Amino acid sequence: MSAELKAWVLAAAAADPSPTRAAVHRRNILISMLAVASGVGAFVSFALLTSEGQLVRLGGEVAPHRHLERSVWLVVTTAGGALSVAAATLWFALCRGRSMLGRPRSWLLCGIALIPLGLFAWKVSCSLAFGDPMAEWPTRPGLKCLSFSLLVAAGPLLAFLAARRNAPVHPTLNGAAIGVASGACAWVALDLWCPVAAVPHLLLGHLLPLCILAGTGALLGQTLLSLRSR
Amino acid sequence: MARFRIPGREERRVRFVTNPGVDDTDAAMERYANGDNAAFAELYDAIAPRLAGFLRKATRDGVATEDLMQQTFLQIHRARGSFIPGAPVMPWALAIAKRLMIDSARRRRLELALFMHAPADDDRMTSEPTETAAADDFLDARRLERLVQQRLDALPEIQRTAYQLVKQEGLSLKRAAQVLGTSVTAVKLRTHRAYQALRALLLEEGGAA
Repeated sequence: MSAELKAWVLAAAAADPSPTRAAVHRRNILISMLAVASGVGAFVSFALLTSEGQLVRLGGEVAPHRHLERSVWLVVTTAGGALSVAAATLWFALCRGRSMLGRPRSWLLCGIALIPLGLFAWKVSCSLAFGDPMAEWPTRPGLKCLSFSLLVAAGPLLAFLAARRNAPVHPTLNGAAIGVASGACAWVALDLWCPVAAVPHLLLGHLLPLCILAGTGALLGQTLLSLRSR
Repeated sequence: MARFRIPGREERRVRFVTNPGVDDTDAAMERYANGDNAAFAELYDAIAPRLAGFLRKATRDGVATEDLMQQTFLQIHRARGSFIPGAPVMPWALAIAKRLMIDSARRRRLELALFMHAPADDDRMTSEPTETAAADDFLDARRLERLVQQRLDALPEIQRTAYQLVKQEGLSLKRAAQVLGTSVTAVKLRTHRAYQALRALLLEEGGAA
């Protein structure tokens, strides 16, 4: 290769300062703080607007003169398990292992498909184990929970995509994985806030937002994480 | 009782960089990621020849090769802060180059279609004759080389790229699969099909001789 090409490349790099590892580390810490702040802020705002500021709701009125309540230990177990899954999903989506090329496609596909199903299965099995009647709440079909999840996950989704910056291989799948990770974080908050465990409600209000976030993450990943030539 | 101490992160990093078994290229990238700007020139010298070879064989266009080289190195430069300690540089650089090449081809689809049917360039396939080779043997070798290149150019892009990465760049099947974003089995199949096409050509030429 010509010496001119080398000189041009070195000069272009010198003229366009890039952050070092330490600077990126500091930036990612800041981004993580923003992600947490946006998620928590959305959670608190939503609770203030719709449930008089109650962040953890143990029960409520299913129908006139019929009150249902879940046990504290059920809440602790489901939210605790969801928190573990969310932490593992964040590690899976944001860390690339030992290679700059990221996770293999099969791993990404399995994670995107299985993590939402795993969260759903955990919620249902804990409810069954603790004797929750999993009754349908006619006034709560799941639309509020759908909005809740999308609102709480939106900030973290954008923050995580910004932290990732680019993916030379599988940008779409990496974006989808990041979408699932942000949805898993919102699931934890939703487990605390929502006392309903009926399966149709869970499908519409808890599982569907994860699918929407995976799709949104895929589209954003294709646009924002792909490498573009000049 | 011997004291057992878990090495700290910085210590593990320094141990990695100074380990004589570690590739110099990866060590240069490690230093560059940590802020040693002088290491970029060293990194360039280490990976530019292989990168240029890969791009030249893939694009068959000197201008496009240089353009993609520039863009690849700038991408490496911009992403240095997110370079994972201990990760190999070359597969990453090849993956960036491939992605940029695909995106560039999408933008210039008509040019690429015309380029695919262009005859092979003899100037880039010269081979120096040995002192003992007869003139007609040399011409036969050049003709065969040209035919091999034409057969390679005629292969589907996915087979040609897999063959180049494994047979010409010397990547392992696992690394090539990572660069291409596919499975090891798929890479094996693609290189095998490319190899079969070239073998068929050699058998034809051998039979005709």
